[in-house]
Amino acid sequence: MADLLERWAARLDTVNAAVGLTVRWVAVGMLVIQFASVVLRYVFGTSEIFVQESVLYLHAALLMLGAGYTLAVEGHVRVDIFYGEASPRRKAAVDLIGTLVFLVPACVAILRYSWPSMIRSWQILEGPISVGGIPASFLLKSLIPAFAALLLIQGAALALRSAAVLAAGTTRESGTP
Amino acid sequence: MSLIVDSLDLILFVALCAAILAGYPVVFTLAGLGVLFALLGTATGHFDLGLLRALSQRVYSIMTNEVLLAIPLFVMMGVILERSRIAEELLEEMARLFGAVRGGLAVSVTLVGMLLAASTGIVGATVVTMALIALPTMLRNGYDRRLAAGAVTSAGTLGQIIPPSTMLIILAEVMSSGYQQAQFAQGKFSVETISVGQVFAAALVPGLMMVGLYVAWILILSALRPRMAPPMAESAGRVDPWRVLSVLVPPVVLIVAVLGSILGGVATPTEAASVGAIGALMLAAPRLAPDASRWPIRAAVAAVIGLLALSRLFDLRIARQEITPVDQAAIWVAIALTVVLAWGIAVAFLRAGRAGVLKPVVTSTMTVTAMIFAMLIGASLFSLVFRGLGGDVRVEEFLTGMPGGQLGALAFVMALVFVMGFFLDFVEISVIVLPIVVPVLLIMGMDPIWLAVMIAINLQTSFMTPPFGFSLFYLRGAAPKEVRTIDIYRGIIPFVILNLIGIALVYAVPTIGTWLPGLLFG
Repeated sequence: MADLLERWAARLDTVNAAVGLTVRWVAVGMLVIQFASVVLRYVFGTSEIFVQESVLYLHAALLMLGAGYTLAVEGHVRVDIFYGEASPRRKAAVDLIGTLVFLVPACVAILRYSWPSMIRSWQILEGPISVGGIPASFLLKSLIPAFAALLLIQGAALALRSAAVLAAGTTRESGTP
Repeated sequence: MSLIVDSLDLILFVALCAAILAGYPVVFTLAGLGVLFALLGTATGHFDLGLLRALSQRVYSIMTNEVLLAIPLFVMMGVILERSRIAEELLEEMARLFGAVRGGLAVSVTLVGMLLAASTGIVGATVVTMALIALPTMLRNGYDRRLAAGAVTSAGTLGQIIPPSTMLIILAEVMSSGYQQAQFAQGKFSVETISVGQVFAAALVPGLMMVGLYVAWILILSALRPRMAPPMAESAGRVDPWRVLSVLVPPVVLIVAVLGSILGGVATPTEAASVGAIGALMLAAPRLAPDASRWPIRAAVAAVIGLLALSRLFDLRIARQEITPVDQAAIWVAIALTVVLAWGIAVAFLRAGRAGVLKPVVTSTMTVTAMIFAMLIGASLFSLVFRGLGGDVRVEEFLTGMPGGQLGALAFVMALVFVMGFFLDFVEISVIVLPIVVPVLLIMGMDPIWLAVMIAINLQTSFMTPPFGFSLFYLRGAAPKEVRTIDIYRGIIPFVILNLIGIALVYAVPTIGTWLPGLLFG
């Protein structure tokens, strides 16, 4: 039972590992483009809204699509005054309950309330933020449901893994003489 | 029953405090509780679920916020510098300069903390580096364990109060929107805002003041109790002025370029941050590949100097009707220099990649940024519900009803932030608590810049208050075994008190904070 849960968790992990390890390179693109725009502005006296907005797009992609991976590598801050000292079983219980009671409702709410505006944005292929910018606001709006979905996937992995720890504990306790 | 239902907002806050202690990531606890209470409030008729429709727009404006755009770039600058060995070199040189003086090693730790603070602003990196290098040196030379640990921990937290820092950017954003709300509430139509530059300027003098207080304390203590901080017994080698300069000058140039361009109003924080990150990369590249040719990097630095000179001497704007032949020639030279610069940057990236540094740099940039912004999103969801349940009105009534008026309300908020600092770090405190209390304080007539500075020092303190100051945590991880946890806790107490003195000084003499922004931004 525990093995099965662990296997499923590992399978779910691959989603955010793939997304996170790809999206992290966006940081380099963001830096290079922003620096190029500084050179253009302060040396050659020209600035393009298009360039400015592309930095914004990369920034938004980095932080929204990176959230799931951040959960996978324990990057979201915990208050570990009790958690830090807790037994693995207790930690697993906190993670399982926390995911079901807090993470899932929060992500479902974000998904539920951002979905309609994303659909509307795609229907009219919503244009740039400001005149002369990148005409693809619908991509930005799609990042919000994607953020929630990636977190739900990673949350599911966390819950399964915690359940595996709890299940393994029970079988060991009842199974060994 | 009706009492319970009427105080849903209060119960929400209490539930939050309790739930956070369980240890599930704060951001989801915050957002999840918000949603649960929205449903509960809807069931009892105290909340309008339609309010949550604003959620999409709020998240959208957080991720497209141009002020916050600077955060990933500053984070990246910090993580590059963290891996560039600059901290190590600075520490060695400073120890050589000041080590022979009583308390000198501890003072040099504080000064290096200040320099790193002005260039990176990342607490963890500074503390770990110093714990690995400076702490063993101090202990070998007979320093008191508590003083040594306290000096390292406090020096690490300077990164938050001395600009540029992520904390000050977030604080500027929170103060600015609180200030706008306060002005709307007072019926003003043309509202003033607060810029990141203003908050940076406001924090600079108080930040340096904190450095002064730390140094003064170390010197006084080592004069009164000479055995706690003896002069260095072992010889650290001869002071070579040329080497001191070569270690000190590059980071100082970087600091002046980044901070100077923001405070001078020349560049936006985002632009300055990108220059800082590229500069950090250029500093790191020769150290990451010591055997490779230095010429690409040197040529790039020369190209930057050339570009700056050219843009002073000639009109290089390419988008205009008539360009004189001389200007045209200068433009071609500038383009050539830009190509040289681009080549140098590409080489630097390549070397960082080969040294295996680029992957961890982009990974931490992403996870730190994603953590901060997820927290902003979670807090926005929470505050939407908290306000919907009438919590903001209750907070306002509570604060305005404090005995002692303005001072009472301020003291309460500062005490709250201080106490929360024992358990939470600045991101949580500034996005959960400040948006609720700041508008009320500003409506009571406080100066936003002054308030921002006091809150900033208070938030800096949260990094060093036991048991969960981040700085302590990093030190524990990197300090040698002989330094017990209790030594670290007891060592930091004087510095926490110095911070409280710092807050009191800014309260008593507001110009410490408001003078520089007033001078620079009118």
